[in-house]
Amino acid sequence: MILEMNNISKRFGSNEVLKDISFNVDKGEVVSIIGPSGSGKSTLLRCATFLETIDGGEIVYMGKRAAHTDASGNAVYVDHKELRQFRSYCGLVFQQFNLFPHYSILKNLIDAPMHVQGRSKVEAEATAMDLLGKMGIADKADAYPYQLSGGQQQRVAIARALAMKPEILFFDEPTSALDPELTGEVLKVIRRLADEHMTMVVVTHEMPFAKAVSNRVLFMDGGVVVEQGDPISVFENPQEERTKQFLRVFER
Amino acid sequence: MTLSTMLSTMSAGMLRSFAVFTLTLLGSLPLGMVVALLKKSRFGLVRAIINVYISVIRGTPLMLQLLVWYFGPFYLLGINIGDWRFPALILGFVLNYAAYFAEIYRGGIESIPVGQYEAAEVLGYSRTQTFMRIILPQVVKRIMPSVTNEVITLVKDTSLAFTLAYQEVFSLAKQISASQTSFMPFLIAGVFYFVANYVVEFAMSRIEKALDYYK
Repeated sequence: MILEMNNISKRFGSNEVLKDISFNVDKGEVVSIIGPSGSGKSTLLRCATFLETIDGGEIVYMGKRAAHTDASGNAVYVDHKELRQFRSYCGLVFQQFNLFPHYSILKNLIDAPMHVQGRSKVEAEATAMDLLGKMGIADKADAYPYQLSGGQQQRVAIARALAMKPEILFFDEPTSALDPELTGEVLKVIRRLADEHMTMVVVTHEMPFAKAVSNRVLFMDGGVVVEQGDPISVFENPQEERTKQFLRVFER
Repeated sequence: MTLSTMLSTMSAGMLRSFAVFTLTLLGSLPLGMVVALLKKSRFGLVRAIINVYISVIRGTPLMLQLLVWYFGPFYLLGINIGDWRFPALILGFVLNYAAYFAEIYRGGIESIPVGQYEAAEVLGYSRTQTFMRIILPQVVKRIMPSVTNEVITLVKDTSLAFTLAYQEVFSLAKQISASQTSFMPFLIAGVFYFVANYVVEFAMSRIEKALDYYK
């Protein structure tokens, strides 16, 4: 098991965004999370990647506990130094790409491996060029992010996350900021990673993609997992009324 | 007095103006960053002190501040420091400009999208690395126009050093003009400030161009 999130709760003020959610990801698994906006999907990813702190529950990566609820009911995390280790297990691809605009594409890919992980420049560059090749943008190594299309920028962002050699890669609506004609090229890249058995969790509104690529689909609404299962059963034979209602919108 | 003696007398003043300008920038550019970061401190008391400092500095004339630094130790604290004229002058200028630079830096830091911090955090950069490698370079580019404005103002503000009887170019111009009943010293001073600012503008536009490789 790469990731276990047990009984996670998260509040923003009095607004309970995640209500006692449990969710596991196995090695090589591709999990899609679907659901209406405001259902807590993104918050769940942000908790899993330590951008948000949980209020209760347990986060376990590779069998090691990163956070848990103590006897007094407060969520406690491992210390700063250990948390860096946990961060290195996971990569995150943002909706808005968030590339570093002042770095060239190559520098975007090698800076963290060199200065966070202490890899040599030669090694980092070799990994980076290999990844850019896989993303079909090796010719853009010396360009700057503003010179690339949205689809290309998102592929760079995926490569940047992969350059850290994470155990698991999270995607937070990776195609929502893209024009429809650019969506395909990003989905194709994710699909290829799935074929290579990269462990991935994808928050998405692309239902056909979720259906085709995932091993498992979670439908979230109102801070809980309403339904989960293999894509065929969730998409073609949903059990819950709320799931049926949500999927009907996409059929039109 | 011939034009050339006038020029050579005033050139000593130009050097003194230049000294005030250079020392002020050397002190206030880095100090402003310290102030900007302290303003975001997690300690309420530190933030409060910084806020008072910035509003007092911005809310009172630099001329008055110079007088306070020079005469304050004696009149307010009863301490006699001796020849404290030049240090007081530079202290006054540095603390004044640091407050303005701090506000420019703060504006620049706050204009960087939160996604940049989040991307850096997920990639495992430490807080210091995030600031030095990701945030600061982008801040520098964004604040260049405002910094240029401040530097140009500083060139002209050096004339306020006359308050502490520091013989910079403008005080000399006034003295020579009065003794020689000539308008020429003022023209010379005017050309000096203009040329100095022309150089500042040129240098800053070169820096801005050098940072133009990304958007």
